[in-house]
Amino acid sequence: MNIIDLDKSSVRELNARLHEKGNGEAPGEWQVLHPHGKHSLAVGLEAPHKVSIEGHAGYYCGGMNMAAEITIKGQCGKGVGENIMSGAIRVEGNAADAAGATGLGGLIVIDGDASSRCGISMKGVDIVVKGSVGHMSGFMAQAGHLVVCGDADDDLGDSIYEAQIFVRGENGALGSDCVEKEMMPEHIETLTRLLDKAGMTCDPAAFRRFGSARKLYNLDVDNAGNY
Amino acid sequence: MAADFEQLLETEIEYFVRADHAVFVLPAAEDRIREAIAARHPALNITSIGSHLKIFKDIGLPADVAARFGPNEMIGSHAIGHTRMATESGISSKNSHPFYAARDFSLVHNGSLSNHNGVRDKLRHAGIDFDSDNDTEVAARYIAHRLSLGRSMNDALQDALKDLDGFYTFAVGSADGFSVLRDSIAAKPAVLGETADWVAMASEYRALAALPGIESARLWEPKPATVYSWSHERLARAA
Repeated sequence: MNIIDLDKSSVRELNARLHEKGNGEAPGEWQVLHPHGKHSLAVGLEAPHKVSIEGHAGYYCGGMNMAAEITIKGQCGKGVGENIMSGAIRVEGNAADAAGATGLGGLIVIDGDASSRCGISMKGVDIVVKGSVGHMSGFMAQAGHLVVCGDADDDLGDSIYEAQIFVRGENGALGSDCVEKEMMPEHIETLTRLLDKAGMTCDPAAFRRFGSARKLYNLDVDNAGNY
Repeated sequence: MAADFEQLLETEIEYFVRADHAVFVLPAAEDRIREAIAARHPALNITSIGSHLKIFKDIGLPADVAARFGPNEMIGSHAIGHTRMATESGISSKNSHPFYAARDFSLVHNGSLSNHNGVRDKLRHAGIDFDSDNDTEVAARYIAHRLSLGRSMNDALQDALKDLDGFYTFAVGSADGFSVLRDSIAAKPAVLGETADWVAMASEYRALAALPGIESARLWEPKPATVYSWSHERLARAA
């Protein structure tokens, strides 16, 4: 176990040590103490380390993650797992806005609530939220899955492309070009796999699916009011 | 200055000085005080009025400014600090936050208003004076004007959602507590924290990290177009 205490080391030192060459061959377990909401913790990790942030994290924690498995034992700020490529991030508390923004792959699990714009412009990442998500979640989401075990606030899936959204609770007003779609057996299968991966025990049959009506893909002057 | 006030207001006054600010306790009607200031000290910049609220603001590194005013020695029930990155008006003490616009009323703002010139014109027509060309002062005067029309704080902030265009997270201070409002897009950051002992608001968590009990506080982002308010009276009732 490697322990880095952010009362003694800088964030730059933390990330440099996590990036050290040779780590890829010898992935390790890392514990980050006293994070105090500092920004950009454990970003851009190419090695499959297991990193535990022992407290609240700031903005962009685990951003650009490639292979690491990161756990935040507290709340986290804006853009957790921003541009995540693969690997996994778990937030044990609430996440601020833009969780998983532009993420290409991998898995983000949020045990609490996620704030607004969860999964904004996601491009393949899977996001599973045990609680609820704020307004404009799934905004311009292109690929991947957003699973919400609680409720979703207004403007869900605004201008969504081919990402799929699953919501178990209530939803507010849907965003532009976002519609509810039928749950087919393959969607139940996908959802079952995602809930299982995230360690959630909810019944997949209790979810509803949302996706794109595909009316805003190309400029059509008749849709001008909806852009 | 104190001697001038005593002479003009025909009463004994108290005052204390912190750096280039002074707090005067003036037992006289507000219009008489304003007349006295206009007559003898027209260049005086009033940062706040009221029986609870005091505002200190200046230009410089935040740590230096704080050291000048010594907030560590102050006692109170609620407080806010603000560092401004100037966008809509020049860098000056006058354009700094918080803005007062009525007795025991203050506003800090993260964001920028796009229709502040139009709203300022309307308020001027309604007889409201302005101290600066700053957009946040417009928001402060607007909300204070709605309150003066008899609207509650909650209603005045709901009115702001309709009439103020732009990006904002507002924190409004009153004699008894504070309120938070974000615009309907809520792009400007805000975080709220609450324990049994205190409630706190900041642009980001880093500002709250040193509070006692923060590790177990309830932390969340305020929703868009939603008024959040806390008052001592309400908290006392709840307790």
